[in-house]
Amino acid sequence: MSIFTPTNQIRLTNVAVVRMKKGGKRFEIACYKNKVMSWRSGAEKDLDEVLQTSSVFNNVSKGQVAKKDDLSKAFGTDDLTEICKEILAKGELQVSDKERQSQLETSFRDIATIVAEKCVNPETKRPYTVNLIERAMKDIHYSVKANKSTKQQALEVIRQLKDSIEIQRAHMRLRLVLPAKEGKRLKEKLKPLLKVVESEDFDDQLEMVCLVDPGCFREIDELIRCETKGKGSLEVLSLKDVEEGDERLE
Amino acid sequence: MGHTSLDKIKALQKNPANVRNLCILAHVDHGKTTLADSLVASNGIISSRLAGKLRYLDSREDEQIRGITMKSSAISLHYASGEKDYLINLIDSPGHVDFSSEVSTAVRLCDGAIVIVDAVEGVCPQTQAVLRQAWLENIRPVLVINKIDRLIMELKLTSQEAYTHLQKILEQVNAVTGSLFTSKVLEDRAVKEERAEEDKEEGDIEPAECPGLEQVYDWSAGLEDSDDSQLYFSPDQGNVVFASAIDGWGFSIQQFAQIHSQRMGIRAEVLLKTLWGDFYLNAKAKKIMKGAHAKGKKPLFVQLVLDNIWSLYDAVVTRRDKEKIEKMMMSLGVKVMTRDSRHSDPKVLLSAICSQWLPVSQAVLFMVCDKLPSPLDMTSERIERLMSVGARRFHSLPLQTQELKTAFMQCSSDDTAPVIVFVSKMFMVDAKALPQNKQRPLTQEEMAQRRELARQRHTERLAAIQQTESGEGNGQSGSTTPATTPGGDNTIGKVSQEEEEKETFVAFARVYSGVVRRGQKVFVMGPKYDPAQGLRMVRIVSACLPPVPHLACCTMDSLYLLMGRELEELEEVPSGNVLGIGGLEECVLKSATLSTSPALPPFIPLNFEATPIVRVAIEPKHPSEMPKLVRGMRLLNQADPCAEVLIQETGEHVLVTAGEVHLQRCLDDLRERFAKIEISASKPIIPFRETVIRPPKVDMVNEDLGKQQKVAVIHQVKESDTLHLDPSGLVTLTTPNRQATVGVRAIPLPEEVTLLLEGSADLIRTLEQAGQAQREGRTLDMSTWTLDALMVLKSRLEVLLQGRKWRNAVDRIWAFGPRRYGPNILLNSVEGYQRPSVWHCLEREKGEKEGGAKAEASAIRDFDNSVVSGFQLATLSGPMCEEPLMGVCFSVERWDMNFPTQRTHLDSVTEEDSNSLDASVSESPGEAAGHPEASGKAGGAVDCYGPFSGQLIAAVKEACRHAFQAKPQRLMAAMYTCEIMATAEVLGRVYGVLGKREGRVLQEEMKEGTEMFIIKAVLPVAESFGFADEIRKRTSGLASPQLVFSHWEVISSDPSWVPTTEEEYLHFGVKADSANQALKYMNGVRRRKGLYVEEKIVEHGEKQRTLSKNK
Repeated sequence: MSIFTPTNQIRLTNVAVVRMKKGGKRFEIACYKNKVMSWRSGAEKDLDEVLQTSSVFNNVSKGQVAKKDDLSKAFGTDDLTEICKEILAKGELQVSDKERQSQLETSFRDIATIVAEKCVNPETKRPYTVNLIERAMKDIHYSVKANKSTKQQALEVIRQLKDSIEIQRAHMRLRLVLPAKEGKRLKEKLKPLLKVVESEDFDDQLEMVCLVDPGCFREIDELIRCETKGKGSLEVLSLKDVEEGDERLE
Repeated sequence: MGHTSLDKIKALQKNPANVRNLCILAHVDHGKTTLADSLVASNGIISSRLAGKLRYLDSREDEQIRGITMKSSAISLHYASGEKDYLINLIDSPGHVDFSSEVSTAVRLCDGAIVIVDAVEGVCPQTQAVLRQAWLENIRPVLVINKIDRLIMELKLTSQEAYTHLQKILEQVNAVTGSLFTSKVLEDRAVKEERAEEDKEEGDIEPAECPGLEQVYDWSAGLEDSDDSQLYFSPDQGNVVFASAIDGWGFSIQQFAQIHSQRMGIRAEVLLKTLWGDFYLNAKAKKIMKGAHAKGKKPLFVQLVLDNIWSLYDAVVTRRDKEKIEKMMMSLGVKVMTRDSRHSDPKVLLSAICSQWLPVSQAVLFMVCDKLPSPLDMTSERIERLMSVGARRFHSLPLQTQELKTAFMQCSSDDTAPVIVFVSKMFMVDAKALPQNKQRPLTQEEMAQRRELARQRHTERLAAIQQTESGEGNGQSGSTTPATTPGGDNTIGKVSQEEEEKETFVAFARVYSGVVRRGQKVFVMGPKYDPAQGLRMVRIVSACLPPVPHLACCTMDSLYLLMGRELEELEEVPSGNVLGIGGLEECVLKSATLSTSPALPPFIPLNFEATPIVRVAIEPKHPSEMPKLVRGMRLLNQADPCAEVLIQETGEHVLVTAGEVHLQRCLDDLRERFAKIEISASKPIIPFRETVIRPPKVDMVNEDLGKQQKVAVIHQVKESDTLHLDPSGLVTLTTPNRQATVGVRAIPLPEEVTLLLEGSADLIRTLEQAGQAQREGRTLDMSTWTLDALMVLKSRLEVLLQGRKWRNAVDRIWAFGPRRYGPNILLNSVEGYQRPSVWHCLEREKGEKEGGAKAEASAIRDFDNSVVSGFQLATLSGPMCEEPLMGVCFSVERWDMNFPTQRTHLDSVTEEDSNSLDASVSESPGEAAGHPEASGKAGGAVDCYGPFSGQLIAAVKEACRHAFQAKPQRLMAAMYTCEIMATAEVLGRVYGVLGKREGRVLQEEMKEGTEMFIIKAVLPVAESFGFADEIRKRTSGLASPQLVFSHWEVISSDPSWVPTTEEEYLHFGVKADSANQALKYMNGVRRRKGLYVEEKIVEHGEKQRTLSKNK
């Protein structure tokens, strides 16, 4: 039994607890707030900047230090530093405020960057800047979900942004080569999927250059492969149809 | 001094001999607008009491608030000198450097200029600049030395000291003129040496004044020979006025000569010659003697002129001696209202006395009318200069064009004379200020009445609105019945449109010949219009709208007399006058030449002292207002002679302005007038490139690294079962389904190759198109020129890529990237795998290898394309901060395919190909051995664009990225070349600013004939934000940089570098976060893009705010 006397008490403030269950026992370490994520990402290399104390606890808030036997039984070593490192790497923790904030901020930026990369202003065929997208996202009060991938969320954002600003996915430019036999039939099927047909050439085979929404690519690809039994082909001419070069406004 | 009526001005306009077009030029805050105020007050437009305080010509709100002029504005004044009535078209110009473009627009329209110099500050940078501008435009300047009261009141100089001070200022001004003259003479001499003998007369400046110039051959002799005495400012020539515009007085020495000649009985001519200079009055002998300075006597100027003024100031302001003032007023014959003399502020009394005794407007206007040329006296040299665009010389212009010169010279207002008008800028006017809409109260009343009626009758309401829209003749249109006008039913829409169109453009122009009438049709010459071509075409078509390039036709809807803030409508404007033209906004962008004769060439473009260099990116606060912003920026571009707007490839809207103050004004204009939305300006996005270099030989503290491959070790990526990295930098990656393995190595390209590839991007693009077409079995016709150029490119690449490593490299080039024409190369080094190189189409054109081409074509692109796509993706965004790569060669050294069920379509590649693949497959025996080479053409083709190709693309991309990271990677920064003109005394500060911003000086040389230095330096674009402004501030405006994008440069520091050796720790500390410029840039970009930045969220765990209470 440990004796609580005011003199030998060490009080820790700003504690972020990292827990891990191993060998049926719960182990905890006391860390500084906002530091564990940096350690995990490798930005923080100094262990002393992360750990408040190098002792391993059963319960940090009660101040119960883990027994040596338990430690060596669970971890196979009694080197506290090694154990701390393992707990830091694998244990579960409550993400601190700044960590969460920076996480959300990064993914917010990331989403905006993806949207800006994928989309254009349909009037000018030029991309929007990331800043503008970010502002538009704030305007529609988009909140980032931490558990969804940024790419998924970006597609979601594009859909929502369409209500407030002129925006659309940058079209892909494809070249389709279809054998003459299936050409006509297939063209009817493809028609709803193509946005703009730029050129059409019907000699011994049908050749089309067209702009499509990138979302339809799979579908078109499938259609051509199945319907023509491999004779037709499809080629991506450019992934993004955007204006190139600077333009002087006059 | 009553208000001059419009009719009077109209009458005066008809006599060009008595018209003076002039502008006021000076450094900022030397009193241009104040002087203009006094001149305006002399015409009774504003009260003379308010002159100097009102700043009548600063009509913008921000001009009034900031106290600086930001635009040039014109006003027509009437001046009666003796018998003659003069019309003076005065243009006030801004003095701030940022608005020097406005000065250019003003100077072009004038024949003369009033240059103002502050008596205390003397010649300032902008004074030099405006003198140069006046000189370049060939207009004659007169000098006003302003703010002499400051010498008395602030500096407390004695009259004697003031005299020497004024002399010095005059010398300074003349020195500037002199140096301009010298450089002109030197330039002419250089030109003359080049040109043939017959053009000799072209070189002289003003034939009447510089007759000696023709004989200039030896430069020293040339300077002595050419007579420049007429150029200089000298009071005895009558082209200098001493003034204090704020106190309302000013004089030229003629006035004093006249006064004193009566009093002293000395002839006025003698006095005139001796009043300025080293002369003194011998009181006993009543004679004027020379050598005042040597004998310690008071010069005549001090004794007769300055002393009087000094004593007046002394009496009125300093001592407030009532009696003495009375006496002085008596002797001067001045009567002052009791209200003024009782005023507690002595300045009021002072200006009341002075403005009657020596009114500044009289002195200045007299000098102007006397000394400055009328439109009739335009020198032929100036005309020739105006008409010879570019390097073309006047004599080479068509004959008809040359004939127009006489029209210029005569400046006649006959109906037969061709109309020649030059528009120097477009400015926006509130439609309310237009004279058509002047009778506002009446019109509104009518409108109200009509609206009353319109409630009952729908059509009438429509018509009423229509009428306000088509502004003309609104006042009289009350009687017209509006029933006839057609219209839709969306009245609200129309009303809102009307509100939007409240502002209209008015052209700031001058008539050089002929009479301009309202509604007249004229040609608009674009800057590239060629009269020779135009004449030919017009003769054929002879219609009003000929399809001649750069020639348009337009109607001048309305003509205005510019009266500062107000405009007066005119029916016609005769030659030699400044005017405003409405209705040109469709066909005139910023400036233009208008004429009824197609033979007229466009005038030479305006000569801008400051080029726009301050770049900002502009965005609307609300993204949905983008179209409004674009429209506003277009309008701004039209209205501002110096601003540039452009949309960059990144989608940024960039505004380029001449300086911070100019930027501020442009932003205000956008917000309040043009776009009418909230906008925000920010630092523009700075592009970077990523590249690899050869492993460095020395480390950061110049220690020899030896042979160790330290860098490769640092970037050792954690190896997985699919990824393998060998120490020489070869990365092997297997696709997730284990069907393909690629081995890629990144090699830095030599710098010259990168440059070459970058320069020939267009060529490579055509090559790529041709290759693509061929693969499809089509042919794309290339001109022989393109083919030749491609051959040259290939051979140059062969020359540049020498050495063991690059053997046959050029023939093995697989693709270029990113986007198929960038400065990166994909190299085919797969042993035994032969594919047609990118030069393939060239060879085919030459007739080689024709048979196999087609058979190969369909097959190769099966998977080949995936590899290329992977490469394109990898080069488009690098691993450091997702910026494009540059100057990297990816050499594919291994490419194995094996399929668990069937070896497919690769067999369909020509025979050698399948052989080669057999060989490569057998290299990885474990996987390939078990599978017989079952051929299945059809099966393969199906798979060709399926998920596997996607996996291959991803694999190639990843392999390229890893290969890139295995090499020492570097960032490349865009660099500006920067040319700075600076005087010797500020050179040190220029170097300081350059050094602080990572700039590097390339060379420095002195400009011949002047004391300016020209410094050439390179500066990273990333550091250029605010550079121009800083350099201007630090050198008090004496140095002005010009920035032009020049090239990409590798930043030598490694962004991922951390100190490792003992020496490095010593030198940089453990963290080394101060030294690494590249890391700073990289993290900046990563943060902007939302990529992971390796940074701690909090630096010190212990130094955070304690949340729980400390017990």
